[in-house]
Amino acid sequence: MTSEFVFATAQYESGDWDSAPLLPANIIDTIARYTEITVAPTGVVVPLSDDRMLRYPLLYLTGHLPVRFNEAERRNVKRFVDRGGLLFIDDHNHDIDGTFHKTATEEIARTIAPLAELPNDHPLYSAFFKFDGPPTTSHELNGWGDNLVHKHLLAVQRAGKIAVLFSNKDYSSEWNYHPESKRFLTVDNTRFAVNLVVYALTA
Amino acid sequence: MILAIGLALRAAGWGLLAVMTLIIGSALADLAAPLPVATRMTLLAIAIAAGLVTAATLAWRDRYVLSLERVALWIEERFPSLEFALATAVETGAPAIASNVAPESWRATAVRRAIRVVRPPFAAVLVAGVIIFVLPSGAVARMRTPHRGDALDRPSRSSSAASRLTPLVADITPPAYTGQRTTTVDEPSDVRALVGSTIAVRGRGAGSGIVARRGTDSILAATENGRWSITLRVDARPTAVRIVDRGFQRIIAIEPVTDLPPIVSLLTPARDSVLRTPMGRIALSADASDDFGIASAAFEYIVSSGEGENFKFRSGTLGATQPNARRTTINASLSLESLGLNPGDIVHIRAVARDGNNVSGPGIGSSETRTIRIARHDEYDSVAVEAAGPSDEEKSVISERMLIMLAEALEKARPRIARDSLVSEARSIAADQKRLRRTVGEVVFTRLGGESGEEHSDEDSPARAKTMQDMLARADSATNRSTDPIDFGGGESPVVAINKPLLEAYNAMWDASTELEIAEPGRALPHMRRALAAIQRARAAERVYLRGRPPEVVVDVNKVRLQGKDKGTSSVRRPNSAADSATLRRIERFTNIVELVGRDAPAAIDSLLILRIDALGDAPSFAAAIGEATNAMRRGQSAAATEALARARRLLAGEPIARDSLARWGVVP
Repeated sequence: MTSEFVFATAQYESGDWDSAPLLPANIIDTIARYTEITVAPTGVVVPLSDDRMLRYPLLYLTGHLPVRFNEAERRNVKRFVDRGGLLFIDDHNHDIDGTFHKTATEEIARTIAPLAELPNDHPLYSAFFKFDGPPTTSHELNGWGDNLVHKHLLAVQRAGKIAVLFSNKDYSSEWNYHPESKRFLTVDNTRFAVNLVVYALTA
Repeated sequence: MILAIGLALRAAGWGLLAVMTLIIGSALADLAAPLPVATRMTLLAIAIAAGLVTAATLAWRDRYVLSLERVALWIEERFPSLEFALATAVETGAPAIASNVAPESWRATAVRRAIRVVRPPFAAVLVAGVIIFVLPSGAVARMRTPHRGDALDRPSRSSSAASRLTPLVADITPPAYTGQRTTTVDEPSDVRALVGSTIAVRGRGAGSGIVARRGTDSILAATENGRWSITLRVDARPTAVRIVDRGFQRIIAIEPVTDLPPIVSLLTPARDSVLRTPMGRIALSADASDDFGIASAAFEYIVSSGEGENFKFRSGTLGATQPNARRTTINASLSLESLGLNPGDIVHIRAVARDGNNVSGPGIGSSETRTIRIARHDEYDSVAVEAAGPSDEEKSVISERMLIMLAEALEKARPRIARDSLVSEARSIAADQKRLRRTVGEVVFTRLGGESGEEHSDEDSPARAKTMQDMLARADSATNRSTDPIDFGGGESPVVAINKPLLEAYNAMWDASTELEIAEPGRALPHMRRALAAIQRARAAERVYLRGRPPEVVVDVNKVRLQGKDKGTSSVRRPNSAADSATLRRIERFTNIVELVGRDAPAAIDSLLILRIDALGDAPSFAAAIGEATNAMRRGQSAAATEALARARRLLAGEPIARDSLARWGVVP
């Protein structure tokens, strides 16, 4: 394991795992912009079925299509969580009735444990920046998906620590732009990603 | 008849006495020292067998009472005045011979005889009954109907200062949906029960002052009929319950057993398919099994349509059944026409079964998913055949072969033609070779992500690649993705590996054209043949298409470092400890407990139980070894306990590290 933080995107056999290709660079840029965390300048794509996925403390998983882990993926995800890793899953459909939500939550329940609402005063929301809950995205009410503002994130917790974080906020769309474009924003909408990374790296 | 009844009663009486005697003896032994349930059941079986054998033996001995001849002789013996009339009548079958004989005379003798034989055994049975009556309450009951949990029935003369936590009994009642019966455990210390079960811990005496502590919860004991009880519910997490009575305490480790979700196998369709048209029916079949019973099972399908960011989904179920059995097979038929599929649509099919777990479930099991994709119109070569030229590599092969033939002909004609003609012809071939090299170069540079026709700008540039290694170095530079785990290849990316033959051909062509420029076709030919071989290798090379590689953006971390407008704080958080630190703490704890075994075995068992509860979640093998160790320690099996503890220690340490060779001196492996 290297000493620098490497942003890892999880590749799984089913579905479109690569639906937010610019997000990793944007998050890396954000981490460097706000913290002194040593971070690799590029992210990596790591197959869930490959043991090397266990090297990364935070795994980002997204997509639109059904999520069906194969046996190797399921086994590794369980090992990853058992070892204290944080799996961040974002529903690119932002649709609680959508197939990604249904299949991914079901797969997590089958592999790890059922997801439950994460309280909005959870330490995740104050790990670096202060939030009153999961920041709203501009995509939640864009006419697609369920057109809901999702009040909570879902999570599986192990010994008081988040093991799996599930979002219907569609951060995959919200953060999927070239980091150079960040200068046009009045408020940086990727700041919550700092909390995610800091939370994953600390206790 | 009277005699027969009397003798039968005697046999039964002695048999009953044998049973009662053994039961009384066992009860007295049990009073002295409690006998285990298995021992008491064995003794009861022996007592019953002894009674039956006794009765059967006596009945066999007295079997002649059923013989008329023997009975007639027995009567004749006692009444000689009959002068064998009775015996003769029985023997000849002529009752008239004994018609003058009055039976009243010997009936009274038979009755007296019957009473006399019955009297001793029944007197003995009466005495045994009195003994049973005067024995303490419950003593005989424990022998008569031995069962788990009757430890509380055993008479005790303990004082009020004694612990009310011994004996201890636990009744485990599984959730109603399982249909399983309540089981009872004597002296529980390590209880495995389904999540949602209730555990009623019972003991003798009033419940005042007895409390069960689980985590931060405290549960007071209730009293009923002179016995206390505490009811606990089995949660999803392992827990240690500490039951306290004044200065006494007992620890019960509760290990939850999870109701497993159904196991579902999709039998048909057996594999993913691509269909040309959305027509026909697909037979669906699946097997499902569950540890307690399947409440419902069905096939689920999802139809996904669209691409890119715009997907639409439809879903439904088929073949729903409610088998209420441990194993079932479900069948259905999926009509593709009814789904209204369009080209490019994908149907995801799987079987799903739910169990009847209404406590922590329902447990949902699903099969692997099969996909049926409807092909797009443009993906069939056989349908849309269009004339196309050969690939770039193919064209290069043809051209290089032609150039080699031209060069060979020129070399062959060299002695016969003038020097000027030779130079002119050679330079003509060199020009064609140069053109061909540019084509190959365009192929390579396009693949490597460079601009097509790059070579045009550096025809004579000193920066051009002089060697293949130089070119590969450039290629590596152009495709610098060494941080990507997909590219694990021991230093050579697949992009470079695929292009290596073409790069080799490119360089060989360069050398060939240089030789041709100075009118040396003979020296150019080896280079040209090398180029041809390399192109052929490129044609035969395996194509690797990397799916879904996102466009790569390399962040200039140093440039943007701390340039954000907002400031956050992370003052209260500390770095995560390494995964192994928890194991090290556990090893230290385990070592301390093992040291305690010699000094205070009961305390060590309690500590091991708590350690086992902590380890159940993440180290089940270690927890199982601890369980075996505590059981062996309770039974006083020192060797087995030591073996289990050693195994637990090995499991904590993990797999031994295998190395190919010895480590260097002074280097800690």
